Amino acid sequence: MSLDKTIKGLKTSFSKELSKSKTSKDLENFRIKYLGRNGQLASLFEEFNKLPVSEKPRFGKELNILKNQLTEQYQNVLGNKSENSASSDIDFSLPGYNLPDGNIHPLEQITSEIKSIFQSIGFSVAYGPEIDDDYHNFEALNVPKHHPARDMQDTFFINPNAVLRTHTSNVQIHLMENQDPPLRHICCGRVFRNEAVSYKSFCLFNQVEGLVINETSSFAEMKGTLEYFVQEMFGKDTKMRFRPSYFPFTEPSAEVDIWNSKLNQWMEILGCGMVNPNVLTNVGYDNEKYQGFAFGMGIERIAMIKYGIKDIRLFYQNDIRFLEQF
Amino acid sequence: MKVSLHWLRRFVDFDLTTTELAEKLTMRGFESEVVSDFDSLDNLVVGDVLTAEKHPDAYKLKLCSVSDGSETFTVVCGAPNVDAGQKIVFAKVGAILPGDFKIGKAKIRGVESFGMICSERELGISEEHDGIMVLDESYKAGTPIKKVLGPLFNAIDIEVTPDKAFALSHRGIAREVATIVGSKLKTPINSVKLNPKSKDIVSVELDKKGGCTRYIAGTMKGLKVGPSPKWLAEYLKSVGQKSINNLVDISNFMLLEIGHPTHVFDLKKLAKPAIKVSWAKKGEKFDALDEETYELSANHMVITDTKNTVALAGIIGGMDSSVTDSTTEVLIESAYFDPVVIRKGSKKLNLLSEASRRFERGTDPNAALEAFNMIVQLMQEVAGGTLESVITDECSMCLDSTSVDLSSEKLLKYAGQEIPSKEVESILKGLHIDTKKTKTGWNCSIPTFRTDLKVETDLIEEVFRCYGYDNIKSSFNYSSIMQYANDEESTISSLKHHLSSLGFRQSYNNSLEDIEEVKLFGKDVVSVMNPSSERMNTLRITLHSGLLKNLDFNFRNGSANTLIYEYGTIFEGKTDKLEDITQKSSLSCLVHGDVFSKNVHFDSIPASFAFLKGVASNIFEDKRLGIKVKYSEQKHHYCDPYYSIIDGKKQVIGGLGIIKDSLLKQLDIAHKHEVVVFDIDPEIFTNYGSYSTKVEDIVTFPIVQRDLNFKMDSSIQVGDVVKTMKSVNQSILQNVIPVDIFQSKKDTSSKDVLFSLNFQSPKKTLEDNDVNAIITEIINIVSKKFNAKLRDN
Repeated sequence: MSLDKTIKGLKTSFSKELSKSKTSKDLENFRIKYLGRNGQLASLFEEFNKLPVSEKPRFGKELNILKNQLTEQYQNVLGNKSENSASSDIDFSLPGYNLPDGNIHPLEQITSEIKSIFQSIGFSVAYGPEIDDDYHNFEALNVPKHHPARDMQDTFFINPNAVLRTHTSNVQIHLMENQDPPLRHICCGRVFRNEAVSYKSFCLFNQVEGLVINETSSFAEMKGTLEYFVQEMFGKDTKMRFRPSYFPFTEPSAEVDIWNSKLNQWMEILGCGMVNPNVLTNVGYDNEKYQGFAFGMGIERIAMIKYGIKDIRLFYQNDIRFLEQF
Repeated sequence: MKVSLHWLRRFVDFDLTTTELAEKLTMRGFESEVVSDFDSLDNLVVGDVLTAEKHPDAYKLKLCSVSDGSETFTVVCGAPNVDAGQKIVFAKVGAILPGDFKIGKAKIRGVESFGMICSERELGISEEHDGIMVLDESYKAGTPIKKVLGPLFNAIDIEVTPDKAFALSHRGIAREVATIVGSKLKTPINSVKLNPKSKDIVSVELDKKGGCTRYIAGTMKGLKVGPSPKWLAEYLKSVGQKSINNLVDISNFMLLEIGHPTHVFDLKKLAKPAIKVSWAKKGEKFDALDEETYELSANHMVITDTKNTVALAGIIGGMDSSVTDSTTEVLIESAYFDPVVIRKGSKKLNLLSEASRRFERGTDPNAALEAFNMIVQLMQEVAGGTLESVITDECSMCLDSTSVDLSSEKLLKYAGQEIPSKEVESILKGLHIDTKKTKTGWNCSIPTFRTDLKVETDLIEEVFRCYGYDNIKSSFNYSSIMQYANDEESTISSLKHHLSSLGFRQSYNNSLEDIEEVKLFGKDVVSVMNPSSERMNTLRITLHSGLLKNLDFNFRNGSANTLIYEYGTIFEGKTDKLEDITQKSSLSCLVHGDVFSKNVHFDSIPASFAFLKGVASNIFEDKRLGIKVKYSEQKHHYCDPYYSIIDGKKQVIGGLGIIKDSLLKQLDIAHKHEVVVFDIDPEIFTNYGSYSTKVEDIVTFPIVQRDLNFKMDSSIQVGDVVKTMKSVNQSILQNVIPVDIFQSKKDTSSKDVLFSLNFQSPKKTLEDNDVNAIITEIINIVSKKFNAKLRDN
């Protein structure tokens, strides 16, 4: 029967053409052609009307199924299209919004990293004054007035008895003056040195220092603590060594080097030692009962090693082209 | 301190390369670096200069033919002293000289040169660079230079820490090397009994106040000044020192040999052969050996010949009494000076000498006599003189060794592990410390040259460092207690991250600035007494100054948009007294340019005053902190306008302002738009504690939104209208937001402001009637109070 054929043909051409309709305009044209008031489906119904009554029930059913099928097919495609209808109208090649890009200064990032390593083994964080008296910066730390050790730290004076602290160790003295042992603290902040400014030295730098005082803290424990720190900071496989050195406030003293395999050389990263008994006496601790260790490191130095920065002045220039890399 | 391996071998035999020696000493606490290691230099041989003729094209250059024993090379050389027949140091093509200086083929003024004839400086031996180094004729051409110069000139540089006075000589270092390699210390110059020719006595008078507690003096006559013998000159050269003449060289040699400074006066230039140690007169002028004139103060110790000052004690000798080429008679001084006296004196004049460096660290009082004895012997041997006077030894100090107890329990407690007693005893013995066993440990007898060993921990350090830090096993016993940051710490840290997430970059600026600049920001500035430069002589009084510099720098380098902040300490002080100085943390933000630049999607959004006000509310009105703030306009000397931000407790928690153009001009800050700053007082801010959230119930009833458009006088502050509207109802009127302001260009006296009002009840769904009554009231009040007219939309 010819109507059967027409239905079949319509089905095929409908699917074929629908799959080819890409844009919303194509789809609209398609809709008019097939499903519109004068479309092909409508003309089929017109033909149906002309059929003898005996055939009407069968074709009526079939045509209704066809109408539903086609409409559904069309709606499906249209639905998919409309979900990403914007995409077809968007020039995806355009850049997105350029959002302002904030960041935390690299020195702050390193300081935070160091702080959290020590916090994870129970150290508290302490702060203290950047201008301090000679006593807290030197004398209490076993650096008498006319001692050659004063040459180790070129000092800025505010007045003959007040200095820009040369290390954060003054905070250790303030801490011990106000608190009884045991102590497990780190102190951080800016320290000042009266040195010529160059690519490797600046008039100030940031320090993190640690202090542990109790009845048993030993050299072995100091080594263990700093090994833990170095591994956390620089990686588990970092090769390191403790080398005898001298600081007035510690005895025995050591310097810690880590191996730089790129440069094939040792790099000094921190100083440490057992707190000098004179320091303990100065703050009123019983140095027969209590002992402990202290350590200190320069943040710039560590940041330079970690990020491969060659000029210390970059940290204080705040060139956006530098900062944006962190 | 430069230390020569050749010189060390006078005292100790060792079989270590230069690198090994440096490494071993470093691990003993003497940080060492190799300065000359001829053993590591290849392609350097003794060369025989066969001919040396003028370069055809350059009158200062010579064209040499140099034989390496088997081949002959053409070498262009610029040294004036090069000559045929010389044995020289020949660096062949491929050699690498100290300082990573590679020798290659080179064309010099049209002539190809195959190698180089080296100067002492090029070899790292001394600073000598006026000519090439000429070797002894006896060397055979082709002999590797490591065999010729290595034994003499291999050297290391040691950074001797201030506590280790005993190590400031070759003997001091040799003692350490001897314990490292386990060999015995040799005595190159044996002390002999000296017999004076006459019964003359040099009178020596010490000052009763102290300062000099031992002074040994004696005179020598019949000396002949002349060049030093080769061995002496070579030792000095091995540490880079020039030979001057035999008398001066001997004194310098003794200093580097055993570390005890001595001084030699020309006897004929002294008023009489007598010494009086006393103090300088205030303002006294002193002509020193270094050809400088120093003005002395009353606490400078001086040596006088009872009439004139002839030396600045322990620091430097005087010009007038110094040894010259015509000297035949001398007075030799070997003394012990108090470290603090020397330190003060040298610091005051900023005059550091080899002698003062040793005296201020503490010398061995017994070495004074030893040095005197050796000098006389050497002078007799080298300059042919004889001891004339009886040796005067004025001494008021103890010359015995001291003793310090070392407890084995303390050693254990310090190390955290056992160090075997035998090990401890052998270490101490190696350091020339005699030990006697006691019940608790050891009684240690400290030799006088170890002025640094005074208390038990000094000995513990010696034991540890010789035992090896590596041999002390580390222990790690932290239980996993997590220490949380204190509130202050975490609040500030959150604030920094908050700002960074809003697009701010964190800045770290120098705390030291130029006083002229700092004074533009505030008047009570704190300055440094001894600045390293005038540009950095005063502490910052605000963070704005640094942030402005950052703006300027980045603007000039192509970034017009700046959103930065800094957290740091600022300083203020009415005087320079510590108690008058306030030093406090501060946080400032600075913006300039755009937050969003113009782009294909929308127009630019400027980093304006309104932007920073938004940042301020974003921070303060954080629900977790709940800080209620008000703005109050203030006069500010470099901002206009400037608003203080006041919290609920009436504290100034911050500020917001636009930097005056006049300041930007004065400082020459490159900019294009307004520069806005926002400050937070971190101390007040952190009092609000760490972010702690109490959750409020969420209201699920719908919001009813209404718009009202008023025409009002341009001068009316929109914020006042909002406040008035809000005051009408506090239960269901949740918010009033001005959403649009229209000002026609024709009529600037008035403006249209569109307000959006949100109503919501926590109890029920609002009906029109609930809202309408309030809207009517608002319209009435606003119309009356602000003479505003409601416009129909």
